[in-house]
Amino acid sequence: MSLRQKYQTILTQLAPAGAVGVSLALGAAAPAVASEQPAGAQPSAVEKEKVSERLAAVRDAVTAIDQTRADAAKADGRLAWGNWGWGYRGGRGWPNWNNWHNWNNWGNWFRNW
Amino acid sequence: MPQIQLLVVQPTPFCNIDCRYCYLPERTNKSVVAEETLRNLFSQVFVSGWAGDGLSVVWHAGEPLVLPVAFYRRAFALIDELKPAEITVRHSFQTNGTLIDDAWCEFIGECGVNVGVSVDGPRHLHDLNRITRSGRGTFDKTVAGIRRLKVRGVPFHVISVLTPQSLAAPAEMFDFYLAEGIEHVCFNVEESEGEHRSASFAEIGIEDAYYRFLSEFWRLSAAHPGKIHFIREIDEAQRNIFRPQNAGFFNQLATPFAITSMDWTGNIATFSPELLGLKSPLYGDFVLGNVNRDRLVELAERPLLSRMKADIDAGIALCRGRCEYFSVCGGGEPVNKLFENGSFATAETTYCRMTKMRATDLVLDRLERFPELMGGREAARPPGSASPVG
Repeated sequence: MSLRQKYQTILTQLAPAGAVGVSLALGAAAPAVASEQPAGAQPSAVEKEKVSERLAAVRDAVTAIDQTRADAAKADGRLAWGNWGWGYRGGRGWPNWNNWHNWNNWGNWFRNW
Repeated sequence: MPQIQLLVVQPTPFCNIDCRYCYLPERTNKSVVAEETLRNLFSQVFVSGWAGDGLSVVWHAGEPLVLPVAFYRRAFALIDELKPAEITVRHSFQTNGTLIDDAWCEFIGECGVNVGVSVDGPRHLHDLNRITRSGRGTFDKTVAGIRRLKVRGVPFHVISVLTPQSLAAPAEMFDFYLAEGIEHVCFNVEESEGEHRSASFAEIGIEDAYYRFLSEFWRLSAAHPGKIHFIREIDEAQRNIFRPQNAGFFNQLATPFAITSMDWTGNIATFSPELLGLKSPLYGDFVLGNVNRDRLVELAERPLLSRMKADIDAGIALCRGRCEYFSVCGGGEPVNKLFENGSFATAETTYCRMTKMRATDLVLDRLERFPELMGGREAARPPGSASPVG
């Protein structure tokens, strides 16, 4: 199974819960504290892949799931759920990279959840 | 045309406490920004067309609440008077919380101010660094302020600076937030900025400690649903990872004037707000001009800005070419590159390894191990989902 397929399978299960549900599910999916190691110490099967490839595969999977959902919603005449609930905006309108860390922007997009 | 999204205004450089890790150089100076300086700033921001349709104003870089409520009543009224109707302005205070009382709560609630309180966890962790000038801990006063906000129903988030001691105590940190009813948390790490050299960054294994802290804090949060609603480092990592290919992104800290900072004298700087007040052999004091004598729009043409931007862009190009995490970071934070590596035109920093890379590793690890780790754990199924994978 390709990385993208692996991620798509997992995310298809997780995504209907929205951003909060995804975070809760992944947060709960923790190994026992004593045995947990940061990445690189105990490589999982996919960690031999480059991080950039893993990230690209996640984005491919998200895009594919979004498209599937959008198609289904269109067919049903419903609104698409829209980008996982993480409050994306198109174009250059919102700085998702490196917002200043001595402040917190949740007040501006948190309501999108 | 530049677009200002965040305006950091220093109402006073003074701070009533004296945290050991503070990078602000003038925190004993009790000067206050003049009304005329505020008028020159905001009138120019609004006339310039740089404000877009929404502007966040953060009153910071000193303790904002050492000034009276009346100061902000006048300042907010002045800004409202200057503001075109179509522009929304949202004010924020980043405060140490020690001066919050009913009058502040009333004003904050009335004006819808976004409040961030700096608190480093339970007393023995908070008072390690957040102290008065006489060396006493500030925990009691900070927590009294937080409790006042809670009693008065004023929403707030906290920013906690993580040190080696708190990184080793995620459960204690979590229990503290729960006990105080804190629902929105942001974690900073103790950084090297200006004269301050981070003791945390010198610790062996600090990156792994950060990973383990976030991992355990996230697990605890998920095990107590409805208590902690927002963990900035986890939520932002997920937001940056789980995005579609076509999501528009840019690096606010590397974009001229996206963040614009003004000190109490009217000096203007951009990129990382911490730069204003610091000095560098390469860029002097980072000041592009002063709103009391210069036109804001002309600052975009200053040679210093071009030089800083060229170096920041060179640093981002290095990141793009060599960093596996570029797509979730966008080239890092200029201030950390400068004070850790000596130049904007550099790539990786300890700061980015901790806060960007390890947080990304954590989310990817959880995602990839989800099937094996969740095998049979029905209780942790996401609400509304089908049965767990695997």
